[in-house]
Amino acid sequence: MKTHCGSSEHLSRRALLKGSLTTSAGGVVMNWGGLFGNPGWAEEVQRQKKHCILLWMNGGASQFETFDMKVGRPTGGVFRSIATNVPGTQVCELMPHMAQQMDKIAVIRSMRTSEVDHPGGIYLMHTGYRPSATVRFPEVGAIVAKYQGRPGKDLPDFIKVSSQGDAGAGFLGPRYQPFGIGSKGDLPPFTNSSLAKEVESRRHELRSFVESQYTQDNPSQLARMHHEAYEAARRLQSVQQKFKLDAEWDKYRELYGDSGFGRRCLLARKLVESGVAFIEVGQSSYDSHADNASWHKGLVPPMEQAWAGLLTDLKDRGLLDNTLVVWTGEIGRTPKINNRAGRDHYVRCWSTALAGCGIKGGLVYGESDADGVEVKDSPVSEGDFFATIYQSLSINPREENFAGVRPVPLAPFGSKVVTDLLA
Amino acid sequence: MIDWSKAKPAGHWQLPFEGAWPTAVALLPSGKQLVAGNEKGELFVWDLPGDLVAEVGKNETPPLAPVRQLVGHENGITRIVALPGGHTIATASLDHTVRLWDLNAATAGTAEVVLDRESRERKAKKGDKQANSAPGVTVAQQTDCVVLKSHADWVSALALSRDGSQLVSGDYRAQVIVWDVASRAAKQQWQGLAWNWIVALAFTPDAKSALVSEVRYKRDDFDVPAAALRVWNVTDAQVTLDLLKAQFPKYDPQAASYEASQVWRKFVAAGLVAVDVSPDGKLLAAGQGGETDKGTIHLLDATSGKLVRSVGNHQYGVTDLRFTSDGRYLLSVGRDTTLRVTTVADGKELLALNAPRGGQFKDWLSALSVSADERRVAAADIAGLVHVWQLVDD
Amino acid sequence: MRWSLNTMAIGFAVLAASALVSADDKPLRAVIDDQVRAVWEKEKLTPARPATDAEFLRRVYLDLCGSVPTYDETVSFLADATADKRATLIDRLLDDPRFAQHQADIWDMILFGRNPPGFDTDKREGIQRWLREQFAKNTPYDALALAILRAEGNTLDDGPPMFYVQYRNQPEDVNEAISQIFLGVQLQCARCHDHPYETWKQTDFFGMAAFLARLEVVTVGKANNLTKYAIGEKNSGDILFTGPAKDQSPGKKGEPLKPKFLLGAALDEPPLPKDFKEVKFEANKPPPPPKFSRKDQLAAWITQPDNPYFARAIANRVWAQFLGRGLVHPVDNMSPANQPSHPDLLAALATALRDHRFDLRWYIRELVNSQTYQLSSIGGSGEQNPQLYIAARTRPLSAEELVEAWRITTGYAAVETTSPPKGVATGRFRPLESGYMLRFFGQPNSGTGDFQGGLQEHLYLNNGPLRNLLTTAKGSLLATVSDTSLPIDARVERLYLALLHRPPRDVERQRMSEYVSVASAKSDERWAEAMWVLMTCSEFRFNH
Repeated sequence: MKTHCGSSEHLSRRALLKGSLTTSAGGVVMNWGGLFGNPGWAEEVQRQKKHCILLWMNGGASQFETFDMKVGRPTGGVFRSIATNVPGTQVCELMPHMAQQMDKIAVIRSMRTSEVDHPGGIYLMHTGYRPSATVRFPEVGAIVAKYQGRPGKDLPDFIKVSSQGDAGAGFLGPRYQPFGIGSKGDLPPFTNSSLAKEVESRRHELRSFVESQYTQDNPSQLARMHHEAYEAARRLQSVQQKFKLDAEWDKYRELYGDSGFGRRCLLARKLVESGVAFIEVGQSSYDSHADNASWHKGLVPPMEQAWAGLLTDLKDRGLLDNTLVVWTGEIGRTPKINNRAGRDHYVRCWSTALAGCGIKGGLVYGESDADGVEVKDSPVSEGDFFATIYQSLSINPREENFAGVRPVPLAPFGSKVVTDLLA
Repeated sequence: MIDWSKAKPAGHWQLPFEGAWPTAVALLPSGKQLVAGNEKGELFVWDLPGDLVAEVGKNETPPLAPVRQLVGHENGITRIVALPGGHTIATASLDHTVRLWDLNAATAGTAEVVLDRESRERKAKKGDKQANSAPGVTVAQQTDCVVLKSHADWVSALALSRDGSQLVSGDYRAQVIVWDVASRAAKQQWQGLAWNWIVALAFTPDAKSALVSEVRYKRDDFDVPAAALRVWNVTDAQVTLDLLKAQFPKYDPQAASYEASQVWRKFVAAGLVAVDVSPDGKLLAAGQGGETDKGTIHLLDATSGKLVRSVGNHQYGVTDLRFTSDGRYLLSVGRDTTLRVTTVADGKELLALNAPRGGQFKDWLSALSVSADERRVAAADIAGLVHVWQLVDD
Repeated sequence: MRWSLNTMAIGFAVLAASALVSADDKPLRAVIDDQVRAVWEKEKLTPARPATDAEFLRRVYLDLCGSVPTYDETVSFLADATADKRATLIDRLLDDPRFAQHQADIWDMILFGRNPPGFDTDKREGIQRWLREQFAKNTPYDALALAILRAEGNTLDDGPPMFYVQYRNQPEDVNEAISQIFLGVQLQCARCHDHPYETWKQTDFFGMAAFLARLEVVTVGKANNLTKYAIGEKNSGDILFTGPAKDQSPGKKGEPLKPKFLLGAALDEPPLPKDFKEVKFEANKPPPPPKFSRKDQLAAWITQPDNPYFARAIANRVWAQFLGRGLVHPVDNMSPANQPSHPDLLAALATALRDHRFDLRWYIRELVNSQTYQLSSIGGSGEQNPQLYIAARTRPLSAEELVEAWRITTGYAAVETTSPPKGVATGRFRPLESGYMLRFFGQPNSGTGDFQGGLQEHLYLNNGPLRNLLTTAKGSLLATVSDTSLPIDARVERLYLALLHRPPRDVERQRMSEYVSVASAKSDERWAEAMWVLMTCSEFRFNH
């Protein structure tokens, strides 16, 4: 705790009072420890930008029907295990395609998190923090956009494709707000200009003239940011084709599987190729309080085929080394199957998975007990999970941003990077 | 044959079958043997006295233990049907197989089993120190069976032709296979819609056709799964009647359209998971399963496909149903832990056996079976027991 | 005596201020200018030039009324040759009903923010109306704060209880909010551990939270599909203190902690009678007051004139509202570790405000009449809040201000009919949708208060329905500037005076004339484009 508040005072006195640390980007320098403690780091990041794709299993996919099989145990359910391309590692029979990608991914079987319901869990597993009445924490997407985004390019840095979570950029500010794409690649309101090209173009020239009049003797940082955001909005007009998939889908249908989620995963890969820092792709309806087996039987196969296709595609294109693929939902599901044939919410012991970007493939980290009730070995909290994600993306998890005067590290104070997961 | 119009229960027994959910049950035609299977794939055979009322009392559970265990299935049992001959059953399982068991076959060895584990633990908690260590029962084990192997996924539905000569089975890859029982050969097969699951099957009385219900859970957000309820000619594997088309002419099961979602909302609910064909072949019954508000049973005209009426009084979905042999009543069980007897002609409830256990979503009856004379009815209960009712009509 | 008491209580020096407050004959505005200038001289800083009349006019309109002047007001103010025209304008705006509305908007944001926690807090017309009324009748600030903290009545008919409703059953959260808003201090670190640099300990945090531990949100009725909430207070119940967060373990039970004023005495609380039975609040009935209200004790302590934090906190907060940077910055982090940039000035402001019985309108009048406020914003290094007030601050218009500025400058407000056309939004943001405006413009800043803007804001500006504002009704700006009977030069001048409240420079006059003079069947399209440019440009987007 001492470090936490200690550095806050340090920064709030020196940075906020004197205003001496405001940057050309208009924000306060947030990376106190990182920048000053490790000067080589920032340059390294500039050289090689990283990307992150979050596959969001909304409602909470079951660990017992994916990565933590308890066949034959009372909690095991009806699915059987299958062998994978990693000797000794087995996964659910619902995942034949992922079984052949296990050498690329690291499974965490020892998640233990602190929000057991959906709204809190969705917030938690997007931000690393529990909801607070007083602080608007940013989502991982906004953080990755801030530290791995590339200002001045055509596409937004944080794109959400048909997914959940409304924490958005939080206190990082509107610049890192997610750009939300619909389930079929449909764009958010007001993305399309209805103006004829020449009208838009002459209007733009006049606007540039007017802006230059305001800023010619006034080096206003606000005006500069305002103008940069205007330029970004304008550039978006020329790249809307990037969100369309129909022309290419036939070529990839087999790889990603014929599903909406498959299409959205292909879109995510294309956006990574276009330089987008963070893309979240959602799949819904895992909240199987009843008929858990049927629901997973419906949802997991298209999901896992798309995921496997995505990993294959990223690998083939040489993108996997710099792209972290995160697989998680907000919660896991209960060991006990209730009398509706369902599994309820459970966060004492559940599974997530990571791949790419320096994550050790073929690894199973942590262990649950025989019935999957408790973590038997190496618990991973939400904070540890996000700290590891940031570390893998070359973002210092202890980096601080400010909500008012409150310093907020990217991963909650006390989180640890699970170094065993990193190659 | 019982006179259903006067039927009433004379006795009710509950055979413990704890440890995993009982999911399937069949009374042999005589009513004196019962086979039940559970979610783990365990199958047991019980011998029942000829006159339970006289021998063990009206509602007191007889001290009956299973006499035989059928060993072979490796995953949950989904359906059991009893063949007319009186000593053969067919079982379908999540282990991708259908098996035929001759209950007169030789056994190989014995095993000690405990089918009241949970009851013992409850007793132990109350201080009965002996409860957990008391000996189990010894059953003979039978491994001898015929394995029908052509399915590549969960076999979720199984039906028998009236004469016992054909079986039809369906799986979670939408494959339907018609089997010749005598030769144990697949004589016909077809595929339902892509991604679908075959969830219920029934032969027509002439065994020339089969009624097939397909559903699945959605695969994706905004997905409207393709439901289908169709009659297939089992000789040439052609659809002869599409019942959803008959109700909703514009329905395109492949489209995630508004119309498609209306078919679910208005007719399919959470899936038509139980079907039967009336003994005269004129009516088709299809019951809504899942956690739908009311397990409605649609009665459809077998020629036009049009809805004749919707009946049923279950809260939440049904799990199994069948016409009585006189064709005048429907027996059904469901997620409200009741077995209901409903008059086909007007939907009036004749009889309800067992009571809902209170609270929302409290247990299911998962399957039902009747003896040849229809005086004995059995139902599997996921609470870990098998119900047997003796019915009388005087 | 009073001052020495304060000094002891808060532990940092304010003694030097006593020399200043004795100069009663000197108006506060002059005290401000003297103090600020003294620091410039000491630091050898050159301030910006004074704001032009045009700069001042737009700025003070926005800061006082959240609006901009009309074309006519602009022209007449710029032409006015009287020496005290700025002071006269200030007086007029302070009496304008829009002043009350704007201050209410600002306090709504202070008390709630755009997305308050809690259920139903997005529908808080009750307290919004109540705030407007208080600012309209210039309720002294201590009385206003007291009413919010006592939270009497219900959320619809009265309003104030809504503040607590957002922190339903979370005394720790209410405590954090109250401390920041009304005392200007941040206690949240002490929620988990004793603060290593600040004076307060964890027991101080929970000692304050203990005043609020008995509050309960009670539903007392319904009207117009809105629920009425009241704040009930139980007679018993304590906050349980469990020590540092790092020492927590499952099953560890806390010790009840008695209320204690921040760095002050413990609350002297009468014991409950022996035969006492706790009341249970019933739905749809106003909760009976407790025999002894801890909440009211806290409210009285916070707002009493010699509270060591209260006057300084509000003096500093309102200063920052008009000058950008707080003398202690951020305004809600007053602590020994975060000293004011101008300690004497802050002390003088706090004293003067208290001596004027917390008359905010008087205080604001002094602030905006100061030369410090009336500097140009050009001259700093481009920061939002220039250091040591060497230039005026620049700030983004709020969503409300932006729409109001569009409505006024385009003439939409002047010509709009009582019933808008079908499909056009009604309400305060008309003809625009409040939902989109709040979504895209509601929170333009980062967590540290710096403007960022964002892609979405510009997508809306570029492709959204701003055209709905460009009415062609007689009297609207578009109708006027596209009226070919007037010389083009006059029309360009009108365009700038109406939209930016200043005449165009020569180069602007020329460029704009060229833009709109292209021979075209629909010349008003060119004018509409020109209007769009000025409505979305930085000069319009910010108050500067």
